[in-house]
Amino acid sequence: MSSETDTGRGIGGRVSGAAGRVGGAAVDGLSTVTEPVDRALRPIATVYNRTLGGYFGEMNGLQFVLLVGAFLGLVTIPFWGNYTLVQATWLACIWGIFAMSWDIQSGYTGYISFGHSVLSGGAAYTTAMLLNNVNAELPMRITIPISVLIALIIGLAIALPSLRLSGPYFSLITFVAVLIFYRLIRPLSEYTGGETGLGGIETVYSTDPVMRTYAFMIPMLLIAAALLIVARSNIGLILVAIRENESAVEAAGINATKFKIWSFVLSSIPMGIGGVLLAHRFGTVTPGAFVVVDNSIEMIAMAVVGGMGSILGPLGGAFLVIMLEDVVLSGFESEIKWSILWLIVLLILVFARDGLFRKLWHGLDRLGGDRR
Amino acid sequence: MSVLEVDGLTKKFGGLVAVDDFSFEVGEGEIVGLIGPNGSGKSTVFNCIMGIYGVTDGAIRFNGTDITDDSTHEVVNKGLSRVSQESNPIDSMSVAGNIKLFTLPNSIVSLRGGASEEEIYDYAARIDIEEHLHEMPDELPHADVRRLEIAKSLATEPEMMLLDEPFAGMNQAEITELADQIERFREQGMSMVVVDHNMGGLMDLVDRIVVLNNGDFLAEGTPEEIAENEQVQEAYLAGEGL
Repeated sequence: MSSETDTGRGIGGRVSGAAGRVGGAAVDGLSTVTEPVDRALRPIATVYNRTLGGYFGEMNGLQFVLLVGAFLGLVTIPFWGNYTLVQATWLACIWGIFAMSWDIQSGYTGYISFGHSVLSGGAAYTTAMLLNNVNAELPMRITIPISVLIALIIGLAIALPSLRLSGPYFSLITFVAVLIFYRLIRPLSEYTGGETGLGGIETVYSTDPVMRTYAFMIPMLLIAAALLIVARSNIGLILVAIRENESAVEAAGINATKFKIWSFVLSSIPMGIGGVLLAHRFGTVTPGAFVVVDNSIEMIAMAVVGGMGSILGPLGGAFLVIMLEDVVLSGFESEIKWSILWLIVLLILVFARDGLFRKLWHGLDRLGGDRR
Repeated sequence: MSVLEVDGLTKKFGGLVAVDDFSFEVGEGEIVGLIGPNGSGKSTVFNCIMGIYGVTDGAIRFNGTDITDDSTHEVVNKGLSRVSQESNPIDSMSVAGNIKLFTLPNSIVSLRGGASEEEIYDYAARIDIEEHLHEMPDELPHADVRRLEIAKSLATEPEMMLLDEPFAGMNQAEITELADQIERFREQGMSMVVVDHNMGGLMDLVDRIVVLNNGDFLAEGTPEEIAENEQVQEAYLAGEGL
């Protein structure tokens, strides 16, 4: 997350002005302690920056430790986490995929989609319908690619006509797409199973206990790496430029429409993968759990909580929201739980509009003192 | 041979005729001034050339190729670039980042590429803003923001530049400096069309002036001829004068 790519700070930096100055004094005080730590860690970070930094973005010693620490904590979770935590991790990996996929399209280009659950829902329903309507014995190596392909086709069907529109029209079209999908499920219940949904999907429980977690985590990590590489490349730069000033992109000799459609492709494919994983997580696909528009809004909330336009921010946001929902607040009944969750989202929107993880990242940048 | 040919260009917005059967040509290495009172259709002509507006009638050719129906990025990639009247840098990117954007390939699979730091420095140096490469656009004084727009345009490696009111909001010293820089571009072989609503900055700069009034061709000639032209003076009487 070098300064070049983390372009949200320009907007957000000004918003948080006063609060930033107060916090700034505290940070400056702390940095006398953290600077030596950063200096000690810097050699490792430098090795990373020289080798992979060009692909994923450069960082200082503290940021490197945060990221590597989070990564190690995550991949070892089956060995130290309790069952509640491990199960929440499965879901967090899937929602992390959704939030990152939403981010590369909406967060980067500024064309906000309110309908991304139509993509994941489309893929999940494809898997379920293939097994229920075509052949229950179809192996995953057939159902998964077809399901992801369908998500891509739905994505293009939304993107091609709508991305030429600007402002609220694009968002409305994505929103309406979910409503149509949701309403069609019942009239077509002969094939879709209606309100009760479709079962018969092989679940994660049929795999080896340790491998269960990695069945969700490895796709999530691969998607995160792929989207990071794209986001830190020229493509990410152009997508951000579309968000900031679309006419300047055209004046630069770059076809903005082509890149907007490409961002939808980059988003639809991982959305499809996430949708398939969710289907295999529960074994049953229902409109309420897979398609309903609340899902689309939750993805946006996760991305905003973490910091949209940064890929890793939305991933962190997804883990935070799911951990709050399934671990920290799991004692409350659903309605109370969601009221608390949405209240937290609201507070972050008001007081930390850049997202918590972007704030943390820039905090570490300052605590580390001057780079090089 | 003409580099740019605008042939019978007509642009209507509903019932309003903004540009009416207007033609002009620009030769290689030439600087042409396009003047006219406010609202005479100068910017509309530029917008039609750049593919921002679709034309109602007429044809636009660049190096003999028809570009009438091209979209903006296609026109730019053929070697025609416009410095627009409004400065619109991306505020969250540094001056260098803003220039780099204009060098990126129009390819969805190109992860790397675009200009190197040295090349970006060179583009900035051609218009004397190389000192500001690491500043943010909103930290720059007005004249340097205008220069950044020109640097971005240069970064697309154009054969011809369309400059839309490049001197607007500048003081006399800045106008003189910019006119010298534009003169240098010509020496490097660049063709240019400069739009302005008065002739102040153009007199010593351009080879030829085309006057547009109410969307119509009014006159054409050397700066001296245009300054003497009675029709032109009359057209400006309602406005602010030459």
